[in-house]
Amino acid sequence: MAGSSTVFRKELADHLGSRRYLILFAIIILLSSLSAYQGAQYLKNNHNAGFLSIFSGQMFGFSFIQLMVFFGPIIGLSLGFDAINKERTSGSLSTILSQPIFRDSVINGKFLAGAAALSIMTVSTIGIIVGLAIPLIGFGPTLDGILSIISLTLLTIMYLAFWLSLGLLFSVLAKKTSTSMLASVATWLTCVIVISVLAALIANAVVPITFTPRIGNATAPGGQNPQETSEYRALMEQRFLIQSSISKFSPTNLYSEAASAILGIVSSSSFIGIGRSTPFRNMTLSQGLAASWANITIIAIGLLVCFIASYMKFLRMEIRPGG
Amino acid sequence: MALDDLNLTVNEGEIFGYLGPNGAGKTTTILLLMGLSVPTSGTARVLGYDIVHESREIRRNVGFLPDFAGYYEDLSAQKNLEYIGLLNDLSKNESEKRAIELLETVGLKEWKNVKVEKFSRGMKQRLGIAQALIKRPKLLILDEPTIGLDPAGTKEIRELILKLNKDQGLTIFLSSHLLNEIQMTCTHVGIINHGRLVICDALDNLTELLAESEGLSLELRIHNSTPGLLKEIEGIEGVSRVVQKEDKVYVNMKNDVTLEISKTIARHGAYVLLMRPKEYSLEEIFMKYYKEA
Repeated sequence: MAGSSTVFRKELADHLGSRRYLILFAIIILLSSLSAYQGAQYLKNNHNAGFLSIFSGQMFGFSFIQLMVFFGPIIGLSLGFDAINKERTSGSLSTILSQPIFRDSVINGKFLAGAAALSIMTVSTIGIIVGLAIPLIGFGPTLDGILSIISLTLLTIMYLAFWLSLGLLFSVLAKKTSTSMLASVATWLTCVIVISVLAALIANAVVPITFTPRIGNATAPGGQNPQETSEYRALMEQRFLIQSSISKFSPTNLYSEAASAILGIVSSSSFIGIGRSTPFRNMTLSQGLAASWANITIIAIGLLVCFIASYMKFLRMEIRPGG
Repeated sequence: MALDDLNLTVNEGEIFGYLGPNGAGKTTTILLLMGLSVPTSGTARVLGYDIVHESREIRRNVGFLPDFAGYYEDLSAQKNLEYIGLLNDLSKNESEKRAIELLETVGLKEWKNVKVEKFSRGMKQRLGIAQALIKRPKLLILDEPTIGLDPAGTKEIRELILKLNKDQGLTIFLSSHLLNEIQMTCTHVGIINHGRLVICDALDNLTELLAESEGLSLELRIHNSTPGLLKEIEGIEGVSRVVQKEDKVYVNMKNDVTLEISKTIARHGAYVLLMRPKEYSLEEIFMKYYKEA
């Protein structure tokens, strides 16, 4: 363990001082401050929405959850994608492995350092959002709200650590950092954009809707056909179900669903449910956790699988310098 | 199979040169010894420790400079050394102290706060030796320590190796494909080719061995030489072969007939410009054993 903690301390110091980390940190702080401001504006006009709404999207421009959906993969992957192969190419890996440490100290120390750097980023971002929002809206979270915020923080750290472990896996599998970087970018695009687009396309293809009911025009004479509207709703429900099932292939969607549930909000990741009863429903934290348990488990399993795979591969790797 | 039937013993205090062409299995041997790679069969002991079960003890007591060793380019020389010190379970203060001492030993004292990315190849190799010494090793294993260095850098490393062996009595195991480097540095040589150890002995013994198997040999330079003269030398009893290469003549003898040869040359009215027994360079030993392998 002595080796692990030495590697951990060195790697953490490297992360915290690296330009890469500072740039990501700056972007996240900037955007989350903006989202806190927007959230506060929204809350001023909707007093019944509750403090936690400052983290969630849909009601206003850019929320913390959306920020993490979009940037989370980049943050996690970028701290991990060159962790091993960069040192392998530069030869520093063979230098440190010829010291009296166990080989797994290196990968454990690196992973934990990355996770610690991500935790620091998450905690400070959420801290800044809360710290900015309280004076802006004039009230703070309830006790239940505080617990929800803590759960959200832990979920976010785990979600970011998942991307870190995936990046670590890429860095063990690919010899060149350029390869693992491309793999990371491709994964990010797939999860953030491609899967959502595909989900929508497939849902559209499977459940074609050929007519448009006249909605929200009930007062107008002959404006609404009740039968037409309910048929339309059923189709939309079906379409939504298909789309959200496909979306679950992307960890970003799993995260945003789970995070929303923890905040007490039932939401769909990218779909605006026309005609759905209420897009905004309050749940307690335990209800929220129960609702998102499957999602949380899948993210945790993904994290473990990626880390164990990189661990096994790294331990069996022949460290021949220069490739 | 990279290594086959390899038997090798290195004694304390030796500078052992491990010689072989590229791809012969030098680095493979060293990685096995350091426990960075696991043998499919067979065993070895380094400082009495088993390479499979006690490799961590080996790494605790053996300083190793890997082939193409690298460092953290964005850290200073001193920080790099301190990190290696910490990985060897030295305390923070001890690491710092050792780092400064060793930077002095390898002549990088003025560069201690400079990032390694600014270092030349030669400086990095010297840093590599410092890194290997930080754990106060009993044995130093250097994999191609002078590869890619200019002559001045090569000389610095060579002198450092000799000094460490002489002053601290450090046993050094050195791999190289450069013959003259081994010849100038090492006391003992093992030659490996295609994963097999071709020969392993003290350098002096090797030179003698070769001279014996080839017989005595003379190197001559003759003024006014004629083909007839060479024929006549070849005809002398005891001479086995005469070869002319450019302006030099090489005579192989079964027994020492140097005087006869000299007389013959004088009789022909030619003059001897140079006449000396031929010494075998490591290159010839090397080439000879390569062909045999």
